[in-house]
Amino acid sequence: MFDNFDLMVAALGAGAWTTVWVTLVSFAIALVIGMVLVVMHVSPAWPARWAANAYTQLFRNVPLLAVLFILFFGLPQVGIKADNWVWALLGLGMYTGAFVGETLRSGINSIPLGQAEAARAIGLTFSQSLRSIILPQSIRVVIPPLGSLLIALVKNSALVLAIGVTELTAQARRLIEDNESRFDLWGVIIGVTVSYLLIAFVLSYLVRIAEKRTAFVR
Amino acid sequence: MSRQSESTVLFDALGPKGRRNSNIASIISAVVILGALAYAASVLASEGFFEASRWANPLDKLVVETTWIPSILATLRAFALGSILALILGVIFGFGRISRFRLTRWAAAGYVQFFRSLPLVLLIWISFTIDGHFGFTTDVLGWTNEARRLTFLVLGLGIYNGAVLAEILRAGVAALPPGQAMAGHAIGLSHGQVQRLVVLPQVLRNMLPAVLAQLVILLKDTSLGYVITYPELLHSAKIIGNDYGNSFLQALVIAALIYFVLAYVLSKLVVLAERRLRRKTAAPAKAVQQIETAVVAE
Repeated sequence: MFDNFDLMVAALGAGAWTTVWVTLVSFAIALVIGMVLVVMHVSPAWPARWAANAYTQLFRNVPLLAVLFILFFGLPQVGIKADNWVWALLGLGMYTGAFVGETLRSGINSIPLGQAEAARAIGLTFSQSLRSIILPQSIRVVIPPLGSLLIALVKNSALVLAIGVTELTAQARRLIEDNESRFDLWGVIIGVTVSYLLIAFVLSYLVRIAEKRTAFVR
Repeated sequence: MSRQSESTVLFDALGPKGRRNSNIASIISAVVILGALAYAASVLASEGFFEASRWANPLDKLVVETTWIPSILATLRAFALGSILALILGVIFGFGRISRFRLTRWAAAGYVQFFRSLPLVLLIWISFTIDGHFGFTTDVLGWTNEARRLTFLVLGLGIYNGAVLAEILRAGVAALPPGQAMAGHAIGLSHGQVQRLVVLPQVLRNMLPAVLAQLVILLKDTSLGYVITYPELLHSAKIIGNDYGNSFLQALVIAALIYFVLAYVLSKLVVLAERRLRRKTAAPAKAVQQIETAVVAE
């Protein structure tokens, strides 16, 4: 059908695999950062709240590409070096972590005030009421928005091509730009589009399962 | 909203002991945070990050005039044109999705779903690359290199964000209680009148904060012009960094700061709009807020 079809599928498949694992690992990092941020956000210690706020504002207002550039091209100048995929995972994780933190916070805010009051009333401490009353309930509320963050991360992960990680988009670019007309442009465009649609479809299916599993009646 | 009361109710009834503990926690966390910052600063300082010459070179008067200012203008130009295109497409497809005609609904839903699932970088790159293929080329228009790149960057930004904005508008319509449209029909308005006089004004009012928040994202996304070498802010920062080899990090940090200021000012407008427009419609504030948090993720 298309020129060098099997080679194209192999290359795009490798790219798709990179996109998937970069997405999943950096999402795990983002979840950890988001949890830390949300605990800082609701804590009684104002310096912690202030720091969490500063972190969130910083990453919400600076483009992800600028973050990746600073990490990968900028930091070696001050003697901090690592492989490009390390910075890709860290950059995506730190950036998405700010959004995860905000999502978790709005999840906590969605829990009725009475729950927190009741927890305090029966004598639970701050950390106890957070751990056993507020967080378990807000986890369920935040699964849908976290799911859309995950899907957004699939798309954002394409940016790591700029620091030399060959994920899906980078593979498509490589097929067209480095191999003079050995590959059919239409074929590559369709292939890369279908791959992204498939990844997004599978991930949103998994998110829907997670939603159903954790659903509860209040 | 409930934000402040919620985060204080967790620890409002502190006694003397609790207050002491919280003070200790404040002090400890302040020490930890300041310590981390001081450590980072000392590492940077030992590598000469703060040396005056490294900052002075990329901020030279000539560089500012010939590179920084034109690149900021290029970024703002892409942002303005991209926003206009995105808003137009967003309104068209947002209302296409709630049209009375099934075919229109399907076409609009297809557009939104398709373009929302693809990375913006990919869209920009594809639109830039197919120029000159498939028997269609912009060469005959006699555009300059920059105009050509700007066109495809704006196309990518507009098509992608148009899909997101369409989704925001649709969600805004869904958040409106159906009784509003029903009441409109009941007093004898036509379908078009109901949409124009009852639904649209409320949806726009509800969704303005979410739309503005998406425009902040669009502003940040202009940095993706980098992949097609459009001379926007980040691209220029990298060129300046290459010219002054040991000011690379400084040039990038300056660019990040400029982005921060631009986006921060824009997001302050979002907060302002939020305060002004909230609670003036029939839609429950909570539903609107949920849509916003879901959308801001993108």
